[in-house]
Amino acid sequence: MAKKIINPFKNESESLQIGELTVENRLDRVSIYGSIDITRDKAGLTIARQLKEILDLTLAELERSELPEKIALVPAETVDNPFT
Amino acid sequence: MKSLRVIFLAAFLLMTSTIVDAAQTNCPEHYAGSQAPDFINHKLSFKAREVCYSEFGLMHSGVTRTPLYSAEHLTLDRLTLAKSMKRHSKFFPDPNIPVSERAELHHYARSGYDRGHMAPSADMSDEKSQQECFSLANMVPQVPENNRGPWEGIESAVRKLAKDRGELYIVTGPIFKGEKLQRIGGEVMVPTLLFKAIYDPKRQEAGAYLIDNAVGAQPQKISIAELEKISGINVFPSVSQRVRTRAMNLPDTRAHKERRQRGGR
Repeated sequence: MAKKIINPFKNESESLQIGELTVENRLDRVSIYGSIDITRDKAGLTIARQLKEILDLTLAELERSELPEKIALVPAETVDNPFT
Repeated sequence: MKSLRVIFLAAFLLMTSTIVDAAQTNCPEHYAGSQAPDFINHKLSFKAREVCYSEFGLMHSGVTRTPLYSAEHLTLDRLTLAKSMKRHSKFFPDPNIPVSERAELHHYARSGYDRGHMAPSADMSDEKSQQECFSLANMVPQVPENNRGPWEGIESAVRKLAKDRGELYIVTGPIFKGEKLQRIGGEVMVPTLLFKAIYDPKRQEAGAYLIDNAVGAQPQKISIAELEKISGINVFPSVSQRVRTRAMNLPDTRAHKERRQRGGR
């Protein structure tokens, strides 16, 4: 079986660039930002397939998990500035 | 007695200037005039370590577990190659930094912050440097709206400027201001501001973008001398005072979204 394009929510390391779109894997989210044109040509087809693969993997992972209503962040602490 | 005092003073000045000028670097090719930035605020130098990569050099702080700056020499050739790079990369804790001083992937997990590149991935022209720039030693905790919006606009404007000018020296970094700071994962400090300093060696001009690491922030354009005061870092020690005090006419920046709406890149 071919290596997965991304392992959603499984690590904090994977980063993909599809055109000007950035996809970053985190434990609590998959971040997708930037913008892209899916053109009606062969390049557009490749992009559409890649995006579908990413979303299919993400959806499968979400559907098989027990999900909270809303993910909780770990709050930052407040500390003294060491440089002042 | 007076002459003795003068000698002492002279010796002191000589010493401090040696310290200040001692921008020891193992990768002079990334820095304007082959000189790495100098710390004006000496507290910054505690647990500071240089890491040299193929297309950028950085100074890492074991105190904040972030870079204090990342430096690059951008050229038209390099950016032309960078444009066609396929980018599948992995963020990684930097093996050049002791575990007791570096950021780990888990420090950023569930923090709500992006891992914001200082030397941007879109500047890298080959696979090796592309992967290298995903080192956590090149990252700061950045507010996502900032990273993906106005900051990306700055990075993009600087790439375009470098292509137009043929070459530029760039120093990018975080600034930690105020009495108190936010810290994530128990270890990594969140900068309050970010800067990107630009030097054009041919036209002999320089300037910097400065932006709050916050939602809704917009970049300011300042001189290198002003940046020195705010950041405590002399980013271009080889550049003349005259060039540093006069802010160059930096291009306006537009976030990705606005560029697309206007049909441009």
